[in-house]
Amino acid sequence: MKISKSKVRVIALATGILSSSALATAAFSENTYGPFPVTVKGYSGSKTNSVSYTGQIARHVLHDSLKKLAGKGDGGGNAAALQAEMMSYFGGSDKNKAIIAPVDKGDFNIKQETVNEISSGKNLSGKSYKGAVTAWPGQMTGGEVLASMIAHAAKTNGGFDPSTGYNFPQLISKFAMGAVFYNQAVDNYLDEKLAADNKPNSKPYKDGAHYTGKEHVWDEAFGYWGAAAHSLNLSASENYEVAKMKNLSAADANGDGLIDLKSEMTFAHAYYASSFDKGGNTNYMSTVTQAFIDGRALITSANGENLTDAQRAQLVAYADVIGSNWEKVIAEAVFKYAGSVYKDITKLEGLMAENGDTTKAFATYGKHWGELKGFSMALQVGKKNLGETAVKMNRLIGYGPVLMNASQVTGVDSQGNFIKDEAQSWGEYKLHMLKLQSMLADQFGLAAKVNDQTANMADLADKLGSADSAEND
Amino acid sequence: MAVQVFDFGISLFEHLFDPKKRLFIGYLIAALGIAFFWLLISKKLTIRLALRKIFDRKVFFSTSSRADFKVFLINRAFTLFISPLLLTQLVVATFIFNLLLKVDWGTWSFALAPSKAVVVASFTFCVFVLDDFTKYIVHRWMHKWPLLWSLHKVHHSASHLTPITIYRTHPLEGILFSLRSAFTQGISIAVFFYLFGNQVDLFTVLGANVLVFVFNVAGSNLRHSHIGIQYWRWLEYILISPAQHQLHHSIATEHYDKNFGATLALWDWLFGSLHHSIETEGLALGVEDDTSEAAHGLYALYVLPLVEMANYLTKKTKELKAAIWRVAHRLRWRAKPGLKNRIKSSS
Repeated sequence: MKISKSKVRVIALATGILSSSALATAAFSENTYGPFPVTVKGYSGSKTNSVSYTGQIARHVLHDSLKKLAGKGDGGGNAAALQAEMMSYFGGSDKNKAIIAPVDKGDFNIKQETVNEISSGKNLSGKSYKGAVTAWPGQMTGGEVLASMIAHAAKTNGGFDPSTGYNFPQLISKFAMGAVFYNQAVDNYLDEKLAADNKPNSKPYKDGAHYTGKEHVWDEAFGYWGAAAHSLNLSASENYEVAKMKNLSAADANGDGLIDLKSEMTFAHAYYASSFDKGGNTNYMSTVTQAFIDGRALITSANGENLTDAQRAQLVAYADVIGSNWEKVIAEAVFKYAGSVYKDITKLEGLMAENGDTTKAFATYGKHWGELKGFSMALQVGKKNLGETAVKMNRLIGYGPVLMNASQVTGVDSQGNFIKDEAQSWGEYKLHMLKLQSMLADQFGLAAKVNDQTANMADLADKLGSADSAEND
Repeated sequence: MAVQVFDFGISLFEHLFDPKKRLFIGYLIAALGIAFFWLLISKKLTIRLALRKIFDRKVFFSTSSRADFKVFLINRAFTLFISPLLLTQLVVATFIFNLLLKVDWGTWSFALAPSKAVVVASFTFCVFVLDDFTKYIVHRWMHKWPLLWSLHKVHHSASHLTPITIYRTHPLEGILFSLRSAFTQGISIAVFFYLFGNQVDLFTVLGANVLVFVFNVAGSNLRHSHIGIQYWRWLEYILISPAQHQLHHSIATEHYDKNFGATLALWDWLFGSLHHSIETEGLALGVEDDTSEAAHGLYALYVLPLVEMANYLTKKTKELKAAIWRVAHRLRWRAKPGLKNRIKSSS
């Protein structure tokens, strides 16, 4: 069969149009974060996917490992060595470190075993919140607070200090997620780095990079969020199970039987978002992740040129959706643990009245309080100053949990030791938790409201019955 | 509309099967039993006479009782449309709860840590007592304030009492009752949640507050009946007997403004409105100034109270105007000499 030249041209053109539109579809309407094509001008390398956020995943792994280490203290004997090890995960960037968490669990096999397999030279301390943390005694920066917590954690037995009620693994983990991930994402990458002249889209992020300035800025923010690249294809429960390492098939997007931490794992706040969404009243996980994907598609569509004002305005709008929902996720967590603390105290009061053994219940109380405090501190290191809300929140929670003898940490001395003082009754502290829940629900418009201590109010009103029929006694 | 008609049909019967309502079939049967045995034992009637007495045609088919039923039907329809607009106890509770959370109690300590059972028992008791107390107060106002009496008179115009008479209530009065209930329950819920959080609950039997259940099983429906059960004198200081409430409906002047209580007689005792029961056989019931047939017509039951209220308000407005005019007039007389003096001194 003979095909004329003109026919060849038509077929070639048609194929070209079809394939380029197919590529565009692939790039802009996918449910996954990447792959996105390389758009940077003048790139001559072999890379075809411009998505890169391995540095953030490395920090998630450093954080998970640090949390695990924080519970390894033996009561003082290994304090110095443990502190040094924790500090190497927190602040060091020299040697290749083993991943302590997450590691294989049953059939949930993790692809990487060392941090450098993900990204080398990364640490947490360099990216920790630089402002003063008023929620913690000592007038320290975010990084200093974490380093001080690490020092204290190393001296404890299993991470818990009964004399202050501090559960350091929880405090370190929940605050670090805010002071590093949330702060870096919403107060840096999704804030000043979205400005036109900062990391422009018309240039590579750095010389020779296969991604533009804006592409990488956006990717880094997404990396800190912690969602798996394919998380939109999963339900809230599945995302939750991925973080809990219970659902291999949901996590293993490429079906190779291994979980690639670089793209297939759920970390940090994305995990908490899915845990709230599971309840059915919210969809923080998909809202935030969708905004990230849409934003990335928008940047890609600029094809290596600088973004127009309209495109940048749209990008900022996506960033606002991400920032406000991310903040809500943290506020929901504070809300949840305020409810846990309330319930824990009620339980402890019962045990005290019966002269029961309070050791276990007290440790649980300390754990929940650590989460409460850590998340509340994280909430305050975002983009905006929470002002009066932060002041009130810090006063309601205090520097430490109210202990069995009604004392509470009230500050630190010049040596960094915690000072305790007679504080308030448990009844009063419980009331603080109710106030905190009420304030958070109002200020942040919460909807998941897990552990809502007044949720039974509506049921009770129903039980009492309405008086709409006019009965004349 | 069809849905509403259906709802209406259902709502007529739901009272019979809802243990939270006075007319629940179980409570009616309990009242029947109590009445029956009381007539047998206390009044020494034969079974036949006792039954004839209980199911007295003269009572149940009286003009007054037929009017009760009409009002019940009309009010149900009215309630169907108005109840979604009314303030609920949950709104009140949430509002008060949030107010409480904003209050700074200073050094006052909440060192309360009772067990769940104690919390639930306290709530069940408090909500019952507070409910009964506010019923007493509102009922007292209904009698003492002329504007409210115009409404409450509809209930008192019944010349025969049957359990359905509790629904012989002007719709406006029904709204007041609903507000009273919303505030009472709302306050109880808010305060208890403030103190005890999610531990708060209600002890119930068949879904009703256990104390309300007991009150109803103990023959609450006999309050509005022709069976004048009297309690021991000492008990009538604490609980209102059916005969005490029937006396509250009496025409006789000496019985005016007595026994406002719903369940507890304590309030009447405390505030000086207690009257012990008397033999109610032959006691004339109703409102003294109008025992005619017309008193049971729809005009008298629905419109007349409004007319009376309007007249009362017109009269009071006139009096107020006159009073203001008198004061203004007096002030003007006083002002005049001063004015004159000022004019004089300036000229």
